[in-house]
Amino acid sequence: MQKEHSAGPNVFGIRHLSPAGAWHLRNFLTEKNPKLVLIEGPSDLNDQIENITRPETKPPIAILAYTKEAPVRTVLYPFAEYSPEYQAILWCRENGVKCRFMDLPSDVFLAFEEKRSAGFARGDEPDGDRAKAKAHDGGTADEAAGDEDKADIEASDEEDAADKAAGNGNSAEKENGRTDRDEKQELSIYSLLDLKTGEDGHETFWERTLEQTESLESYRMGAESFGSNLRELSAGDEADWPEILVREAFMRRQLKDAVDSGLKPEEIVLVTGAYHVDGLLDEAAGPMSDEDMKKLPRTESSHTLMPYSDYRLSSRSGYGAGNKAPAYYKLIWDALNRGDLTYTAHSYLSKIAACQRANGTPVSSAEVIEAVQLSNSLARLRGSRFPALRDLRDAAVTCLGGGSLAAISIAVADTEIGTAIGTLPDGVSRTSIQEDFYRQIKENKLERYRDITAQDLALDLRENRRVSSKSAAFLDLNRSFFLNRLRVLGISFAKKQPVSQDNATWSEKWILRWSPEAEIELVENALRGDTVEQAVSFFMKERVENAAGMSEIALVTEDAFECGMPLTVAYATQALQAMAVDNVSVTELAMTADRLSAILQYGSIRQVDAEPLVPILKQIFFRACLILPGECICDDAASKEILTAIEQVNRAVLAHDFLDASQWCDTLKEIAERDDLNTRLSGFAAAVLLERGSMDGEGLQLEVGRRLSKGIPADLGAGWFEGLAMKNHYALIARLSLWEHLDNYLDTLDDEEFKRALVFLRRAFADFSAGEKDSIAENMGEIWGLNGGQVSETLNKTLSEDEERSLREAVCGAEQNDSQSGASEQSGQLVESLEDFDFDM
Amino acid sequence: MEEQLQRLPAEQLFQKEIDALIAAEKDPIPTGWKMSPRSVRTYICGGKAGGQIITPKYIGHERLVEIAIATLVTDRALLLIGEPGTAKSWLSEHLAAAINGDSTKVIQGTAGTTEEQIRYSWNYAMLIAKGPSREAMIKSPVFNAMETGTVARVEEISRCASEVQDALISILSEKRISVPELNMEVPAKKGFSIIATANTRDKGVNEMSAALKRRFNIVVLPSPADLETELEIVRTRVEQLAAGLDLNAVLPAEDVVEKVCTIFRELRNGETIDKSQKVKGTTGVLSTAEAISLLCNSMALAGSFGNGRIDDEDLAAGLQGAIIKDDDKDTVAWKEYLEHVMKKRGMRWLGLYKACKDLL
Repeated sequence: MQKEHSAGPNVFGIRHLSPAGAWHLRNFLTEKNPKLVLIEGPSDLNDQIENITRPETKPPIAILAYTKEAPVRTVLYPFAEYSPEYQAILWCRENGVKCRFMDLPSDVFLAFEEKRSAGFARGDEPDGDRAKAKAHDGGTADEAAGDEDKADIEASDEEDAADKAAGNGNSAEKENGRTDRDEKQELSIYSLLDLKTGEDGHETFWERTLEQTESLESYRMGAESFGSNLRELSAGDEADWPEILVREAFMRRQLKDAVDSGLKPEEIVLVTGAYHVDGLLDEAAGPMSDEDMKKLPRTESSHTLMPYSDYRLSSRSGYGAGNKAPAYYKLIWDALNRGDLTYTAHSYLSKIAACQRANGTPVSSAEVIEAVQLSNSLARLRGSRFPALRDLRDAAVTCLGGGSLAAISIAVADTEIGTAIGTLPDGVSRTSIQEDFYRQIKENKLERYRDITAQDLALDLRENRRVSSKSAAFLDLNRSFFLNRLRVLGISFAKKQPVSQDNATWSEKWILRWSPEAEIELVENALRGDTVEQAVSFFMKERVENAAGMSEIALVTEDAFECGMPLTVAYATQALQAMAVDNVSVTELAMTADRLSAILQYGSIRQVDAEPLVPILKQIFFRACLILPGECICDDAASKEILTAIEQVNRAVLAHDFLDASQWCDTLKEIAERDDLNTRLSGFAAAVLLERGSMDGEGLQLEVGRRLSKGIPADLGAGWFEGLAMKNHYALIARLSLWEHLDNYLDTLDDEEFKRALVFLRRAFADFSAGEKDSIAENMGEIWGLNGGQVSETLNKTLSEDEERSLREAVCGAEQNDSQSGASEQSGQLVESLEDFDFDM
Repeated sequence: MEEQLQRLPAEQLFQKEIDALIAAEKDPIPTGWKMSPRSVRTYICGGKAGGQIITPKYIGHERLVEIAIATLVTDRALLLIGEPGTAKSWLSEHLAAAINGDSTKVIQGTAGTTEEQIRYSWNYAMLIAKGPSREAMIKSPVFNAMETGTVARVEEISRCASEVQDALISILSEKRISVPELNMEVPAKKGFSIIATANTRDKGVNEMSAALKRRFNIVVLPSPADLETELEIVRTRVEQLAAGLDLNAVLPAEDVVEKVCTIFRELRNGETIDKSQKVKGTTGVLSTAEAISLLCNSMALAGSFGNGRIDDEDLAAGLQGAIIKDDDKDTVAWKEYLEHVMKKRGMRWLGLYKACKDLL
């Protein structure tokens, strides 16, 4: 496969993220001393080259290109310190040589993406036709394969590695959009390879054969024949083959343009994936014509540099653009720079040992030495000069982990994947929302949380009176605003944790963890506004406009309060007002009232004026009072929601004096007294009145007498009692006459009716505690003229099997009669709860 | 003579293969070894040497074999750990056979093993008659291995008392035995190493000290990863064993081996092969080795009392014996397995189900 490069341009085939590639490429550049270096990368991103080379820039970093219109699509080009492309750029900078990206512009890639996803809107199961290429005339083609779904980007390691090895494309996410067929085919190539090497995979094969090569020429030859073999095996079969051809034509054009500008071909070095070497040197194919250039699909896009992380680079975490062990490959890079390839093994094993010690497992140096020896001997067994990652890991497991990977798995993950995050100098071509984000991180003193390890942050929203400046006094409050804004925008940097009830008003707990995903989410929000605040405000307005119900707007209002955005609060308030006049269900009203009430109660801690909400709450409350009795005509299933609604409104009335309590009581009285409503709700209304002290003993007596008198059907009578028994357990127990009524009422029922009543009563008593049941039993004892203690004992003893069976039958009987209510479910639960509750009426 | 031996040591059983590997040797051979590490791997994992086909001796985890061999190259001691019946002793015997052509330097670890058996003891008659002398000394297998630069094996090391285990520590770290009675020290020759085996089920009997563990490279031998591997192991071993015993029975049919392995795997892992159903496990380990001996037993039953072919009755008797040890719980688990899993498997399993049911 030897090629003659001397006459034409110098093409250096690399594998993305290959330390040896980066090392040899630098030597190659020094040797050739070219006047221009062309690098495989989107040619519209040349302006980033300057920023990439700034001394403050520390890889891993990535260039992110994204569409300017929703839905935002992104293409990522990550660089690690040992990326050959990155080192080539650095070399050019150091030696004052011009360098440019030469691949298709990122907007073309994004347009390909869009077409692809338009091709199959659902984006899940690829069908056979999909891989059909729609070729435009003249060689411009785009293919219909690939999968937009990000989940799909979590492609198998096998496939990722295939991409890398193929040098196929710029290790961008789009690389992973492949069809199943494609994957299968690649697998077969690599399983062939695996068979040949007898190793666990081509990744190890690559490492043994090429990463450990110390000679520039043999690396170059090896990589190129690897690439062209792969190309021969797969050319034309791959689903994105047309795209590859277009890209190569475009790159040839870039080369031609460079030569036309007066450079000799041999003064140019092309840095490209090994896979493309043959394609670029293919004289016959020729460069892309102007006409074809115009035909390339484009979409409006923008790009930015962003910090990247080791974790993200490792394919374990999803996006395929990386390698399995970024931190380990960094060790190889360090070893190459030290000129001592044994350094990799030594530092890998020492790091694992150090990590084990830090985690509390003693590891001696002697064991590390044994591990080094074992790894060397494993490498020799495979005929390689230095241990590969696989040898090192197995040696570590055997010597440091006592034979079990689990014992050292954390250390292995730390050493292989690493926790490094890249940094960029301030103000480097971020989107303005990123600028704003980092400015606020600094302002709010959150810089130490910009780490990929999750950290807790507890906030106290109250004014800190011990400090002098206003900003310091409200630091935590401002932090809370900022974090809540991120939460609303769905940026995963901050996650809110629930807090216990007693200090929920003034404290918040957050878990903060920075990740490249958070950065991408941030960039995606760039469409919504230039600052975080603007984006939130825009997004909230959007939510208000699209809100399906009133409570959703109330939620926005609540969010706006938590984000400390008075203007948005005002906007949402108006929307609420407008909606309150429309027809709204009582449950929706109650939910809204509940949220607004909470804001009014605790809003002051956030230094936001909640006064404008008062009239709206009043209005909602008023409406709720008016329509509530009407809504109480419902079946048992619907009554649950209304129960919650009554409870919510009641809570709001208790919390705020400006709500008319007497009107609320009148409403409740109406519900309690009317006979045409759901009796459970009537009972509950009575219970609320009793609780508020608006119903006295006498009134209750009367009501009980009326509701539980002879002739009332069992489900109505017992249902009412169930509603009543939901509150004020003690007050009810204390009233002996109530139990007398209930007893008498049950006596009047015939057997069938009694069985039906049983369903409701069991449910009613399920909420009573054991002690309360005891007291009821004593009441019953008194009524029946028996010893209270004995009654309690008899009633509370576990059911015998016979009794249980007859109860089951009774419940089933009731179920048959009671088809319209959700009795079957309830009775099912009832039978299940027999063990806990043994109150046999 | 050889024909009458119940079991030949590995190096005699596979003499041809070892000779072929030595003849075809291309790679450098470590001091004291008979063949290169790669040839050892070929011997154990199977392959070809010259015209000779090398049968695989250990199936399923080639990488573990590599680690074991690499350990011995670095003249470090090797400790094989695993559940009973995961071929620890089998692997250790074959490693020794391939490396030295001699797998007989063995110390069987028991509660009664003494320190003398690890180091050396005396011929007391001679000791009293002549006083301490080299002639009066009885060397242990480890002693011999050190003198000749070969591999000694210690079986079931965790069954030895801790003072006996401790005796190994100085041998492994100093690589020499001192004989104060004769005022001399015997240093180990290059190539000396120890392969020990230990049982994970014996944890806590005589827990190995950290100091001793540290002197070993530990390789954990797992149960076969999947049904296919296990089937292959069982089939090969039953074939080899049956060849050595006069069982008067034909080899078990594919179907029979699969049934036994399926039942064993399911009871061992506590779930059905397709992972759809939980299964109550038994107190025994139900290792691959037990499956092998069960099949041989069934062959013996069929050969001696049946028609020479393993039928469901023979198999059922074997299964019950292997699965129900002495615990009532095993009976319960086995009954449940029969009713909930085997009965529902349809016609193919019906005969076996009935036979098992009849025995209970």
